[in-house]
Amino acid sequence: MDPKLVEVTQLFSRFKAAFARNDFDTCVGLLSQLKVLLTKFPSLPPLFQQTPNAVEELKIARDIYEHAVVLSVKIEDQDAFERDFCQLKPYYMDTCGVIPPSPEEYPILGLNLLRLLVQNRIAEFHTELELLPVTALENPCIKHAVELEQSFMEGAYNRVLSARQAVPHETYVYFMDLLAKTVRDELAGCSEKGYDYMSIAEAKQVLMFSSDQELHQYITEEHPEWEIKDGCVFFQKAKETQPCKEIPSLQVINQTLSYARELERIV
Amino acid sequence: MTDVQMPDSEPQPAPPAAPPLSALHHLKEIASVIEAGSLSKEVRRISRAVRLTVALRRRLAARDVSAFLAFALPPSSEAYSRLTSLVPKEDETEMDVDAAAPATQISIKHGLPEIEIYCSLLVLIFLIDQKKYDDAKACANASIARLKNLNRRTVDVLASRLYFYYSYVHELTNSLAEIRGNLLALHRMATLHRDELGQFCRYLFYLGKIRTIQLEYTDAKESLLQAARKAPISARGFRIQCNKWAIIVRLLLGEIPERTVFMQKGMKEALTPYFELTNAVRIGDLELFRAVADKFASTFSADRTRNLIVRLRHNVIRTGLRNISISYSRISLADIAKKLRLDSENPVADAESIVAKAIRDGAIDATIDHANGWMVSKETGDVYSTNEPQIAFNSRIAFCLNMHNEAVKAMRFPPNSHKEKESAEKRRERLQQEEELAKHMAEEDEDDF
Repeated sequence: MDPKLVEVTQLFSRFKAAFARNDFDTCVGLLSQLKVLLTKFPSLPPLFQQTPNAVEELKIARDIYEHAVVLSVKIEDQDAFERDFCQLKPYYMDTCGVIPPSPEEYPILGLNLLRLLVQNRIAEFHTELELLPVTALENPCIKHAVELEQSFMEGAYNRVLSARQAVPHETYVYFMDLLAKTVRDELAGCSEKGYDYMSIAEAKQVLMFSSDQELHQYITEEHPEWEIKDGCVFFQKAKETQPCKEIPSLQVINQTLSYARELERIV
Repeated sequence: MTDVQMPDSEPQPAPPAAPPLSALHHLKEIASVIEAGSLSKEVRRISRAVRLTVALRRRLAARDVSAFLAFALPPSSEAYSRLTSLVPKEDETEMDVDAAAPATQISIKHGLPEIEIYCSLLVLIFLIDQKKYDDAKACANASIARLKNLNRRTVDVLASRLYFYYSYVHELTNSLAEIRGNLLALHRMATLHRDELGQFCRYLFYLGKIRTIQLEYTDAKESLLQAARKAPISARGFRIQCNKWAIIVRLLLGEIPERTVFMQKGMKEALTPYFELTNAVRIGDLELFRAVADKFASTFSADRTRNLIVRLRHNVIRTGLRNISISYSRISLADIAKKLRLDSENPVADAESIVAKAIRDGAIDATIDHANGWMVSKETGDVYSTNEPQIAFNSRIAFCLNMHNEAVKAMRFPPNSHKEKESAEKRRERLQQEEELAKHMAEEDEDDF
């Protein structure tokens, strides 16, 4: 066996051992060593050279990056997640003929969709979704993310929150918690526009706070313009749109001049 | 992403009843068209030759192709030996008979690169039709290697078709990934040369698709409608695809496409699923929408629009909600949930947050009374007291003016046609004078003796 491959395999088993006992600091250190070692394999993306060990190398590299993605979720580092996922993606997209598909593929793709949703990168979310084959949409992990996005867009926020109980994979919990925060902000924004006022008890229930104190804290931090009096939260109503009384003269002049210029060109 | 195939032809062997000479004869005529195009540097003639070839495609037999190669290429050339080796040998004797009895004498100049590339294209098309994909690949690869050394504008038209079939044959054999790098390099070259190659329409279509996926609906709509408008009439399949996507994008934008869109000639049947879908969105009936989506699920999957249709659900709810808010000044959230047919464990809570979001996004003008659990619609203001009509009017004027400017830009005038005619007449005159002069001189020569 190739000595470089042996080295990577040994290091990787140490990584997995540390990973199993949740020793994440060791994991991060080992992972950077592993990544450096992987750069010495010419069979990996982007070179894809047909070396005799190509299959073995591709397999172990994919395994390493899959672990890296899960690790980044455990240490709650979203930037690392994005980096590792980008490195992992070619193994899913471009090596389908060379190595058999990984059982972790859909959970990780679903996780990435969830991340894009949490970061409110909806355009990228849909781009990723479009790259998946039709059959993938039936997979519970992908379906979970797709349904979340739908409920989120519709405004059925309580459906988003109840989805936390039905996560298809344990790694999803981290992003689901982040999503809950996003949902609260959305709900606050909607309530502000949709209601004139709300009793504190109701506000607590809508915004999912367990105590009055948390609610007060949230309001002073995020929405200082809301007013609390007589046991009710009053939302500012300054956004009322008055019918326009003023004539936007400058705009009208500009438009009329441009019409004149264009007509001149035609006649 | 798969390429949209323009009308595909079923490969069929030439019927034995057809006069064997005619296909070959047509090919020879096409060759002379190319020759004329090449010598006069007129790209349009070459495009015509390509069109004629496509029309001839169903009637091609191996012997026609071999005979044509023998006719068009110098027998000692590398291209001749390469291409003939790819065409299957059959009816050897009959071919000889054909060649021995040429009905009309058409002869062309040997060694024109256009003719050589045309031969490659012909063989490639023929091999694809015969389902000999490996040979076709070999042919395409060799031709593209040859094209790299040619730099003539008249070749570009043929090259574009070659590239098309090159990618098509790889698509058929599922090996598109292999040639991606090559195609990108070719595209880079084409961009540097500013070759348009008639791909602009396709570009617009794909741009529209990508923008749709990335939720940039306004830009997407513009690209797709332009692609549909610019596509040639004969590319019916392509235009249908453009229309399907354009309909969905307009629905996603909250517009309802006019009935005439669905009644376009030759598209009515293909657009029926989208027509029913539009109807469901227009009414805002979630149940009907679901039924339509299920009924035509296979069509939508094949069109790869299923993900977009999932997004439309949201629009259906919005439309329904807008209808409710216009009809009722006050309605309970439970009734809203019932009318929208939201089926979930907690329909009232869903309805409340959906309504709240619709209010925030400006889709409806209302407030929610949480304690009583109802929605109160606000009086709709007079639109004409706002700037709204002016903005709408302005955008329409801008569209018309832009259309006029585009039309002026798109008009084509034959270069100096007026002057040319004059010079042709003058030339005739000059020739006549020269002839007379020559005769005169000859007479003078005779006189010398």
